[in-house]
Amino acid sequence: MTGETVLLAHDLSKDYPMNGEAVHALRGISLDVRSGEYVAVVGPSGSGKSTLLQLIGGIDIPSRGSVEIMGTSLSSLSDRQLTRLRLDRLGFVFQRFHLLPVLTARENVELPMAEAGMKGRERVARALELLGYVGLRHRAGHMVTQLSGGEMQRVAIARALANRPALLLADEPTGELDAATGEEILALFSRLNRDGTTLVVVTHDERLAAQAGRVIHMLDGRIKSDLVEAAPL
Amino acid sequence: MASGAHPALGALGPRVSGLGWLKSLGRHRLRTALSIAGIAISGAMLLDMVMLSGGIEKSFAEMLLARGYQIRLTPKGTLPFDTEATLSGAGELIATLRRDTAIESAGAVLGTSLYGRVRDSLVTLFGYGIQPEAQSLYVLESGRDLEPGDSLSILLSTPAARLLGASIGDTVMLVGRLDPQVVTASVGRRLVVRGMVHWVYDYRGQPSVGTVLPVMQTLANERARDRASLLIVKVRDDRAVNEVATRLGTAFPRLEVNSVADLVRHFKQRLVYFRQLSYILGSMSLIVTVLLIATLLTITVNERLGEIATLRAIGISQATVIRQVLVEGTALTIIGGALGIVLGIATARYLDSILTSFPGLPAAFSFFVPRRESLATAGLVLLVTGSLAGLYPAWLAARAPIAATLRAEAT
Amino acid sequence: MAIRLSHWCCLPAVLLAARLTPAAAQIPEIAVERHLARELGLSVGDTLRLGPTPDTVATLVRVAAVYEPRPDPAEIAKRERHLRMHVPDLASLLRLPDRVDRLSIGLNPGISSDSAVAALNRTAFGYRAYATAAIASESSQTFLVVSRFHRAIAVITIVASAVFLLCIMLLKVEERRLDAAVMRFIGVRRRTIFGALLLEAAVVAAFGSILGTGLAYLAGAATNAYYGRFFDTRLIFSLITPELVLFSVALSLALGIAAGALAAWRLVHTRPLVLWGRG
Repeated sequence: MTGETVLLAHDLSKDYPMNGEAVHALRGISLDVRSGEYVAVVGPSGSGKSTLLQLIGGIDIPSRGSVEIMGTSLSSLSDRQLTRLRLDRLGFVFQRFHLLPVLTARENVELPMAEAGMKGRERVARALELLGYVGLRHRAGHMVTQLSGGEMQRVAIARALANRPALLLADEPTGELDAATGEEILALFSRLNRDGTTLVVVTHDERLAAQAGRVIHMLDGRIKSDLVEAAPL
Repeated sequence: MASGAHPALGALGPRVSGLGWLKSLGRHRLRTALSIAGIAISGAMLLDMVMLSGGIEKSFAEMLLARGYQIRLTPKGTLPFDTEATLSGAGELIATLRRDTAIESAGAVLGTSLYGRVRDSLVTLFGYGIQPEAQSLYVLESGRDLEPGDSLSILLSTPAARLLGASIGDTVMLVGRLDPQVVTASVGRRLVVRGMVHWVYDYRGQPSVGTVLPVMQTLANERARDRASLLIVKVRDDRAVNEVATRLGTAFPRLEVNSVADLVRHFKQRLVYFRQLSYILGSMSLIVTVLLIATLLTITVNERLGEIATLRAIGISQATVIRQVLVEGTALTIIGGALGIVLGIATARYLDSILTSFPGLPAAFSFFVPRRESLATAGLVLLVTGSLAGLYPAWLAARAPIAATLRAEAT
Repeated sequence: MAIRLSHWCCLPAVLLAARLTPAAAQIPEIAVERHLARELGLSVGDTLRLGPTPDTVATLVRVAAVYEPRPDPAEIAKRERHLRMHVPDLASLLRLPDRVDRLSIGLNPGISSDSAVAALNRTAFGYRAYATAAIASESSQTFLVVSRFHRAIAVITIVASAVFLLCIMLLKVEERRLDAAVMRFIGVRRRTIFGALLLEAAVVAAFGSILGTGLAYLAGAATNAYYGRFFDTRLIFSLITPELVLFSVALSLALGIAAGALAAWRLVHTRPLVLWGRG
């Protein structure tokens, strides 16, 4: 399943000033992710998992080191170009969903497609297709405030897939969900990966880590271990 | 779900994002309603002040040009009916003016106080002595107009008719040259009411009467010297008014020659206070609008920083975010402004009713004149200002640090 | 005494300022108001000719004084210019011997103006007597209209300010909704939260009132300075009295506290979960 290199991070470090001192959130992280991989990043709170995700997603700028997405170095891009890259090549799923409450499920999914310039009819069709993929086509016209937590997260996943990203990044996607709902999301991620989506998921959820093909353990801003598990079912 | 290229990037489709941000106005209905109310009141005030700043001279000019006479000649240093001063040799002056080929018509007017006898008492009236073939002072409402040389007839305003208890066909007794110490008049005339007229320059309730000029001169003791209060001139070609006025000023150095534009300028000078007040209050309205929209949007942006950071994280550009904040501010301004125009017209009527109660102000005059230009000006200024008020909050939104905000949201 | 006659208006147009050597001690003397003296370049001792009409400017007079006109709001925008003469001199100039427009009467202490007016109207004919206050009331109709206009504008401004205030208070209070939710979760009573928010609103209103009063004084001073220069007058255009300050502060405090109370009441009567964003 794995193919070309989608993500290449080299010697990534991130320091934050706090009370006059520097907090080293990341210390010289290097990793590469190939197309089709399902990578889980696990570790205790404060280990730098979310910071790593933000750096490889181009949301934050490393203090040292470099990130390449599909061969494009993020440090060479302007803010505008970074934004475009995130729109075109990356998809994000957040712990708290972060959907726009004044829009319907379908409209939330359409958002990135509209920004990319896709025409209305095509956009609507694809949004419905994606909602169908995540099992929520029947809820397309509902306001997101009318959806359950699991349903909102599925809409968020559909939104992340809108522009056919090369890499889908998820930060604690089951963090706000109960066990049963979390299982649904796990199953969806598995399906996504089987269908070819490259995933990097930051999680505390051992079940998710268990189904990932590769698990990176982090501690104190460093990679403690990087294990390739048996192929997920 | 492989990755792929996408159509060229373009502006965020309004159906999705524009509606999203506009829909957010409904998220906090009370807040939105109050903001719109605030903008509406400010917009109304702005509209009123725009009307006030331009309405005074427009209303005055329209009143002066109601009968088409573009030039007035008065005693030196005076304005029409501003004082009791009169000029002599009115007949000769009129004859000279009528010989001017650029002048279509010229007439003399005498204004004076006189009295009407009602049973055993006297009532105070204002008298106009006019030349019926060239007059600009009244509009006939009923009955017949005066004929040139008709020294037996009189025209009445409705208040005068009420005061005298007279109607068309009745005979009234006018007296003049009243000796205040013995309360006797040395001259009186019986005149038949020929018509009821509306005097264009009268204040509300002014009891005015009109006769041919020689009759009024007799009643006012101005006969011997052929005096008049002012001369009115109608120029054939509107484009030549200024040139004719200048020429007349040179030809008659003992007279004050004013075109309608000159009179409007004098009048504006007298009412400069209202003009300046309109600028001050209009500016304050704009400041209030800016403060209201900027404050509302800033707080809204601060509340939605997480949302904004998410949008930025998923690839929505800064330009789109800025645009959407500005769209929200513009939408508020448009809705508030539309309401404000309706409110402004209503409040203008009320304010006009106050100001037009100035004693001695012609009833035809208005301070607040609703015109398309006023509405357009006020609307445009409000729209631009309200839209620009969103610049600071839009800048805040665009500058929101994505990573830090997302981290803060997660905690 | 100053007399205003019907032909007075003609005088500014026909004055001829001249620095002639006074020919005789019998030349009538006049007092010229400061603006007129400045415009015509006149000073004490100068002579000029006056006439009732542009054709009859013949009477030689001497400037005996330049006076500062009493600030009269009715005259301020007219740009009319005045001078003062002795009554006989003016009457002679106008060829109206022994005639005046009015007589001004000063009463001995203890005599009421109303009784004097009644007595005069009873005992003489050919004129009417009026108390000065009645005349003043009659002639100040213009200013009553201006006052009404200002009051209307003030009402509109107050309404706009009230709406603005309510909106801002609502926004301010809503910013604290998460804090309010947490307080409710941990058992703090509605009354306590309401009181805290109300106190905050009162403090903001108080500071705002003080700031507004200061701004009003500044604006008033600026208005008087500007219009004083514009109209070249010592007239006071903006006058801030203690009563006015008291009224304004009381009103702004009342409006601010009322707006804060409304916003706070709304907040404390919203379910905590809804405030938290989960309801």
